[in-house]
Amino acid sequence: MTGRVLVAGLGNEYRSDDGAGPAVAGYIAQRAPSVDSRVISDPLELLGKWDEAELAVVVDATRSGEEPGTVQIVDLGGGEHADSYDGPTSTHGMDLARVLRLARALGRAPDRVVVVGIEGEAFGDGHGLTPAVNDAVPEAGDLVLQLIGEHT
Amino acid sequence: MTHQRPASDRTVQVEGLARVEGEGSLRVEVRDGTVGMVELEIFEPPRYFEALLRGRRHSEAPDITARICGICPVAYQMSACLAIEDACKVAVTERIAALRRLIYCGEWIQSHALHIHFLHAPDFLGYQDAVELAEVDPLPVQRGLEIKRAGNLVMETVGGRAIHPVNVRVGGFYKAPSPEEIAALAEPLLRARESALASVEWVAGFEFPDIEVDYRFVSLRHPQHYPIESGRIASSDGLDLDAAGISELVVEEHVKRSTALHARLGGKDTYLTGPLARYALNSAQLPPIAREAAAAAGLGAVCNNPFRSIIVRAVELVFACDEALRLIAAYEPPDPPSVTVEGTAGVGHGATEAPRGLLFHRYELDDNGLILAARIVPPTSQNQLSIEADLRQVVQASLSLPDEELAWRCEQTVRNFDPCISCAAHFLDVTVERR
Repeated sequence: MTGRVLVAGLGNEYRSDDGAGPAVAGYIAQRAPSVDSRVISDPLELLGKWDEAELAVVVDATRSGEEPGTVQIVDLGGGEHADSYDGPTSTHGMDLARVLRLARALGRAPDRVVVVGIEGEAFGDGHGLTPAVNDAVPEAGDLVLQLIGEHT
Repeated sequence: MTHQRPASDRTVQVEGLARVEGEGSLRVEVRDGTVGMVELEIFEPPRYFEALLRGRRHSEAPDITARICGICPVAYQMSACLAIEDACKVAVTERIAALRRLIYCGEWIQSHALHIHFLHAPDFLGYQDAVELAEVDPLPVQRGLEIKRAGNLVMETVGGRAIHPVNVRVGGFYKAPSPEEIAALAEPLLRARESALASVEWVAGFEFPDIEVDYRFVSLRHPQHYPIESGRIASSDGLDLDAAGISELVVEEHVKRSTALHARLGGKDTYLTGPLARYALNSAQLPPIAREAAAAAGLGAVCNNPFRSIIVRAVELVFACDEALRLIAAYEPPDPPSVTVEGTAGVGHGATEAPRGLLFHRYELDDNGLILAARIVPPTSQNQLSIEADLRQVVQASLSLPDEELAWRCEQTVRNFDPCISCAAHFLDVTVERR
């Protein structure tokens, strides 16, 4: 599909700030209903959903040591240099970079993948974002819309 | 992994066994060239599902127990439904039973496609995982994904979603899919069946360690068809039991190294459930397309080589696709989609075949249908002693291997069982030590 864009809000809304990705997907769905914006709980689910996208924006919570609510952007391009977590694979978790590696091996990777991260503070059981992360959702959402605007 | 020599005494320890469901570790000690201690340690915290069920309504059992596992929720739902319906002395209609069998086929397709192509095949080909495999040979991985997607479609259509279906209830379903919705599954399942046949041929070409194990096989058996969601429990030594009978005969014990209970049949005997057992006791019931694929892959009526379980699993994948197609062709929506099941005092049992083996439930209900007691015996609990016994035999036969290869072989041995440690309690650590 020419010009296809996918926004994937990655995370689990029942694990506190891990719900940042889904929250941004909801923000996009409200403000730009024509954009294909989805909540994805397992990165492996991206296979089959992003295959023909020219641009896939993956929004996820991060734990990088920055201040909670900090919005960061990582442009993985076509995934040629995406570093992967080097631990064992299990059905309970395949990280985004490894899924991108698999997608590339299968010829099913998007042309470009951009990760928008929101630094989380709490990842324990529970519904709802901490205040700093909640406040960062519009900033991250607007950044996603800007990326889409620049693409099209 | 740690590796120590000299050669006659070794300890194999794997502290992070990958490509299994859940978390655990493995330790094998070799003394004077003889395998001594073999321990499969399961250290995930216990999950207390049986206690959580106490005081809940009889109608809640399928949805609560489905949460035990994201790979085989339908197995939990079906065993729970059968047990509750048994306690309340209700039988469902044939159409409901057929729809249950269809959704269960979807789960077998999902689970077997995942295990064969993503978790187990890399062992035989020397890759760390399916990503490495796909970078060298993408076709089988692509095929596995497509087969799995067909299973997802069945689950979504019948169950409402691909994981933890929401349409299953005690007595049947909340809503019956329309004939058009069911008919739309035929084309992807036809493709999946063709792909599954290709996967049987693919795995049959792997190299297998030459090991035969004298298993005591236990599985459901049904006079008309290959067992999934119904039948009596049979064994290779002549047992013929209903679900209440197996529940009485299986004794579970707690061992210090594991948060999963160890099950013994008759209090003392190791036994095996899962694809090898189902196949050994029911291969004659497979449809011609699956029987022919098995024969072409070199399988006889019984397979005692645990490493060749990947072939049996692939044959079952062909069967599950074919069976789903048969059920789709004969589909008539159950109307009503469920029968009423009033909660009444009683004790009920239910046993079905999860993708990785026999799963049975027992519930005791009070006058109001509240659950007084629950017992859930998953396949991996039943297979734990067989896993340790296989490891002992495999290590003893493989002592000439260098440490790294021996540890690899140990992990592969565990994965022969497609263990779901999460169900049994939850990952795996392997240690080979030689002294």
